[in-house]
Amino acid sequence: MNGEVNMNEIKAAPSTSGTDPKAVSRRTFIQSLGAIGVGAIFFSAGADKQARGQSVSTYIDSLSTEQLTAMYTDMLKIRLWETKIKDLALKGGFRGVAHLYVGEEAIAVGVCSALRQDDYIASTHRGHGHLIAKGGDLKLMLAEITHKATGYCKGYGGSLHITDMSLGILGMNGIVGASHLMGAGAAYGIKVKGTDQVVVSFGGDGSIQGSFFTSAANSAATYKLPWISIIENNQFQIWVRCSDVYGIKDLARRADGYGIEGRVVDGNDVLAVYDVAKYAVEKARAGRGPTVIECKTYRWYDHYGFQGSKIGRDGAFGLGYRSDQELREWMAKDPIPRFRRFLVNEKVLTEERADEVVQEVKQTVDDAAAFAEAQPVPKAVDGLLNVFAEGAVPLHKS
Amino acid sequence: MPKSMRYAILEAIQGEMRRDKLLTLLYEYQRPAARWGGRSINLEAEFGRWRARFSAIDENWIVGGALGMSMIGVRAIAHIPSMTTLIPYELMFNHAGKLRHMTGGQAAFPMILWADMQGRASFQAGQHADAGLESCYARLAGLKVVIPSNPYDAKGLMVSAIRDVDPVVFCHYSVPTSGPDVPDEPYTVPIGQTAVRTEGKDITIVGYAPQTVEIAKAVKQLKQRGISAEFIDPRTLAPLEQVMETIIKSVKKTGKLLTSDDGSYSFCNCTEIIARAAEAVPGTKFKRLAFPDAPPPGAPEMINYMRVGAADIVTAAEKMVRG
Repeated sequence: MNGEVNMNEIKAAPSTSGTDPKAVSRRTFIQSLGAIGVGAIFFSAGADKQARGQSVSTYIDSLSTEQLTAMYTDMLKIRLWETKIKDLALKGGFRGVAHLYVGEEAIAVGVCSALRQDDYIASTHRGHGHLIAKGGDLKLMLAEITHKATGYCKGYGGSLHITDMSLGILGMNGIVGASHLMGAGAAYGIKVKGTDQVVVSFGGDGSIQGSFFTSAANSAATYKLPWISIIENNQFQIWVRCSDVYGIKDLARRADGYGIEGRVVDGNDVLAVYDVAKYAVEKARAGRGPTVIECKTYRWYDHYGFQGSKIGRDGAFGLGYRSDQELREWMAKDPIPRFRRFLVNEKVLTEERADEVVQEVKQTVDDAAAFAEAQPVPKAVDGLLNVFAEGAVPLHKS
Repeated sequence: MPKSMRYAILEAIQGEMRRDKLLTLLYEYQRPAARWGGRSINLEAEFGRWRARFSAIDENWIVGGALGMSMIGVRAIAHIPSMTTLIPYELMFNHAGKLRHMTGGQAAFPMILWADMQGRASFQAGQHADAGLESCYARLAGLKVVIPSNPYDAKGLMVSAIRDVDPVVFCHYSVPTSGPDVPDEPYTVPIGQTAVRTEGKDITIVGYAPQTVEIAKAVKQLKQRGISAEFIDPRTLAPLEQVMETIIKSVKKTGKLLTSDDGSYSFCNCTEIIARAAEAVPGTKFKRLAFPDAPPPGAPEMINYMRVGAADIVTAAEKMVRG
């Protein structure tokens, strides 16, 4: 494999098409993807050649109506929950901070839909989407973001560090690149345990240059660990443009140097992401080693906070490091309406049902905001707890 | 010939690997194998390569991998060589030490950073003769730091470290073999429990690892000169609360605290011990002996001059006691 495209392997992957009587033949999805110009192109990242080809999927075929609807719902949850945070923060008095994921929803949902409940993910500072896609509770998340006592981390963590370990989430992580290493370590642990779980490490385009990624990738390749590294290339490392700090265009090509298969996928196409993620997950589960998947996407908001954004309007405009025109072009590739068009075209959802889903998610988000607002703040003295498993550390104020 | 420090540590790990079928050791080139008398330990041969795994020269993998493993309930030991003590510092600082707190108690890292330490040996120089870096880890929240001075303590502290649910940095200095014989069976030396090596009433002397050799010599010489010194080996450097109870009790009795450290003078670990004793026992006399704030030179003439020896401890103690 080692970075070269292996379409035979993809074609040979087991298909469960037809096992779900409700499932529409998703084969037509791929055709319709191409027909409306949003084709799921992915290719390997060989150092000396790049074979390109249309996705010939078997995995998408097996998605049931329920699964597809759940994917659409999860993407909306991410979008509307984060948009609510932005609006609340701009109103003032919001007890928290956020690195918004809006615009990148297809990646979290596409990848996590390919996972089992007992699989692990290691997340990033921009990880709300990962948590929601893995099953996170919007109420407990919003309570945590606002540092309430009943939030996921009891108010200790906040936005960058929300996690639910019981969902197999090895933490959001404020240190860029660490998710790769923690994830690969967990994948080694899985081999020691002898289970067939897999680990996904999410990281941004900036996460692969530091040594943590090298340590993770080399070990994952050497030991054939059940590890999938998702590089969410949203074009920016804070304000630094990716193309200004990397000598290669497709970051997945780095995988080649470690002996790992690398893939590049349209990160705004949830089905394309799902397809390649499912392939990588099945491969990892079967003991055939790691995959690095680069998902090309775009960050609608600033790196951090809400600069350039307004209540009731999507996106952050007027940021010095990018043009509004560029943002508008990417917003036109919004992954959510794209997916909705497929679902309606393929008669998975009617327009009316799709509208209902939006209203249901809006209600869930409003409920989460009301819940978080009503929650108590932590007891001050609890800051001395949870340093170690037992006891409290002493206070030194008197 | 008693068991060596290294054999005692491997025996501790062997016993725990037999007890905990998931416990795994990651290391780079230092094979987890040793001989003593007619006996030998070889962890890879006994437990297989997955549970005793060498890697590339890659301390970030060894430590980061151990963190990821321990996070999903696979206890792990990360063994790194002595010239790399601080390479995984970021991982220990921002992950091992913080994630339990950051996640409101959800995350746990039952892992051990088994860090080989150097000490002030001649003919090594610069990057291979440093000491005192244990204080870098001891100052980080959420980490426990232990530092054995003899094979008996090494085995007992390693067993305690492995059984602990929090991350433990096990600082392994090479120290000439001394102390009690090491039993074959597993036993624990509890983290936080100091050892009063010699009881005395005139002055309290605190030091650990290679300095215990110098202090032990000094205590004998002081006795010949009519000074009764109480020598305390802290064995644990973090958390320090329980350790300080013993030291403070001693200082209340003697009124004098002398510390001797192979680390550089500024911010050496004994600085913290003195500061805490000063807060707790007003009126105490203090003296801190340590290596200068300089890199270690290779030539024995220079490094031996700079390092604290038994004679320096005797001189300082006499001055403190006789005024």
